[in-house]
Amino acid sequence: MDGPADSAAPPMLQLTNLSKTFDSGHGRLVALERIGIEIGCGEFVTVVGPSGCGKSTLFNILAGLAEPDTGAKILYNGEPRMAPELLGKVAFMPQRDLLLPWRRVVDNAILPLQVEGIPRAEALKRAQPLFVEFGLSGFERHYPQQLSGGMRQRVALMRTFLFERDLTLLDEPFGALDALTRSLMQRWLLDIWQRHQRTILFITHDVDEAIFLGDRVLVMTARPGRIKLVLDVPLARPRPPEMLTSPEFIALKRQVLAAIEEESIKSFQQVAEG
Amino acid sequence: MRALSLAVAGPLLMVLLWEAIVRSFGVPVYVLPAPSAILLKTWADLPKLLDGLSMTLFEAGVGYVIGSLIAMVLAVLFILYPRLERVALPALVAMNSVPVVAFAPVALLWFGSGPASKIAMVTMAVAFAVFVNAHQGLRSVDESAANLLRSFGAGPLRQMALLRLPAALPSIMNGLRVAVVRSMIIAIVAEMLSAYKGLGWTIFEATQQVDFLRAWAAIAVASAASMVWYGIVNWIDQRFVFWR
Ligand SMILES: Nc1ncnc2c1ncn2[C@@H]1O[C@H](COP(=O)(O)OP(=O)(O)OP(=O)(O)O)[C@@H](O)[C@H]1O
Ligand SMILES: [Mg+2]
Repeated sequence: MDGPADSAAPPMLQLTNLSKTFDSGHGRLVALERIGIEIGCGEFVTVVGPSGCGKSTLFNILAGLAEPDTGAKILYNGEPRMAPELLGKVAFMPQRDLLLPWRRVVDNAILPLQVEGIPRAEALKRAQPLFVEFGLSGFERHYPQQLSGGMRQRVALMRTFLFERDLTLLDEPFGALDALTRSLMQRWLLDIWQRHQRTILFITHDVDEAIFLGDRVLVMTARPGRIKLVLDVPLARPRPPEMLTSPEFIALKRQVLAAIEEESIKSFQQVAEG
Repeated sequence: MRALSLAVAGPLLMVLLWEAIVRSFGVPVYVLPAPSAILLKTWADLPKLLDGLSMTLFEAGVGYVIGSLIAMVLAVLFILYPRLERVALPALVAMNSVPVVAFAPVALLWFGSGPASKIAMVTMAVAFAVFVNAHQGLRSVDESAANLLRSFGAGPLRQMALLRLPAALPSIMNGLRVAVVRSMIIAIVAEMLSAYKGLGWTIFEATQQVDFLRAWAAIAVASAASMVWYGIVNWIDQRFVFWR
C-alpha cells in the first residue's frame, strides 16, 4: 500500500546532471558525476555504494551544505533550488549522531524546533508523544553520555523527525550498531516511516538493510560516484524479518551484490594505484 | 574527599618543613621568617591587612569582570565577523607579546596612583588571558555540528548561542581560571609601583621600613585570597561544565 508514489504526482525531488568536484591541494577530485534521480512523494529510497563514492557528499548538497558544480539542476517539490536555498528545508541526519553533551535528551531532540524559534514549552509539547515511539520514555532528562549507542541514534533520529520537512536524509543511521539492535531498529524505522508518511533517502553499507527497507535501491559506482543501478523492490509491506531469507529477497540481493562487487573491486584498485 | 585531603596535606607538610628549617638553622627574619611568626603577625595586623586586601580585591575584581566581558565580546565579534578578525587579531597578538607590567608607567600617568590605574592594567591582563582561550574555544567547534545547525536553518547568531558558546565553555573557564592569579599579581605589582593603599603598597611600605614580617603577612593574606577566589571559579567550572 505504501509503494512508490503514483506517476501522476510530480516527484518530490528531481536531480539532473549533478556533479561535484573538489579542488584540493593535490588537484581535482571528482566525487559525483552527472547524478540523475527522481524521488517520489512518500518513497523510501536506499543508497548503497563503495566507501568514498560520494554518498555523504550527495547528502551534503541536498541539505544545502555544499554547492554542486555548475550545470546541476535540483527540483525540490517541482521548484528549482540553488543549494543554499535548501538550508532549513530538508531534514538531515549526518553520519555521526552529533548530540550536544550539555543538553539533556529532550533538549537535544527539540534543537531544530528551537532553531526555528518555537518556544520551548510548545516544542516540548510536540516532542512529548514521540518519546514512547522512539523508545526513549524515562530517558528524557538523561544526558547523551548516559545512553547506549542505539539510544543515542534514536535521539538523533527523533531530532531529525521533529524537524518536519518534506524530505528526510539519513546517512548510515544504524552503521555503528550491532546486528541485533540494527534489525530491531530497521523494523522500528519502517513502522515510524509508515505512520509519519515521510519521504526518506537512506544511505547504508548493508545490502540486506538496503533491500529490506527500500522501495527502491540506488547502487552507486566507485569514485567518481554515478548511479550504476536503480532497482525496484517489489516486496510487500509490512515486511516480516523472515523475508530476508525468501527467494525473492535473495534474487534481489544477488543483483545488488553483483553490481556492488564490480564497483568495490574498482574502488580497491583506485586505492592501490594511489 | 581523598583528593581534598591530599591537596591539604602537601602544602601543610611544606609549611612544617619550612618552620623546622627556620628554627633549627636560626634563619634571620629579614631572610625568611618562620610561618608561625607570619601567622601571629597576620593575626595582630588583621584589621589593617584586611583594609589593604579590600582595596586590592576591589581593583583585581573590577578589572577581572571588565576584562572578561571585553574578551568575550571581542572573541564573539571576531568569530561573527572574520574580516574584523583579520584586521585586528595581529595587533592584539603584538600587544599581548609585551608583558602588561611594561604598560604600568603609562597607566599610572594616564589614570593616576589611585585604583583606576590598577583596574586598567588588570583589565588588560585579564582580557588577553580570557580572549585567547575563548577565541580558541569558539573557533575549534566541530565543523559537522555547525553544519547540522546550518541544515536546521540556523544563522551565525543562532549557531553562536546554541552551539559555539556552550562548546567553548571549557576553554572559557580555563581562561577565567588563569585570569584569577594574573589579576591578583598585576594588582599587587602595580600597587608596589605607586599607590595609596592595598596589599602591594603594604608590602612595599613594610620593606622600606625594614618590617619584613609585615611584608610576609601581606603576602600570606594575598595568597590566601587568591586561593579562595581560584577555588570559587574552579567550583563553578566543575558544577556547570560537567561534560568533559
Ligand atoms: N570537503 C572535501 N574536500 C575534499 N574532498 C572531499 C571533501 N569531502 C569529501 N571529499 C572526498 O570525496 C569523496 C567522497 O566522500 P564521501 O564522504 O561523500 O564518501 P561516502 O560515500 O560517504 O563514503 P563512506 O561510505 O565511507 O561514508 C572522498 O574521496 C572524499 O575524500
Ligand atoms: Mg559517508
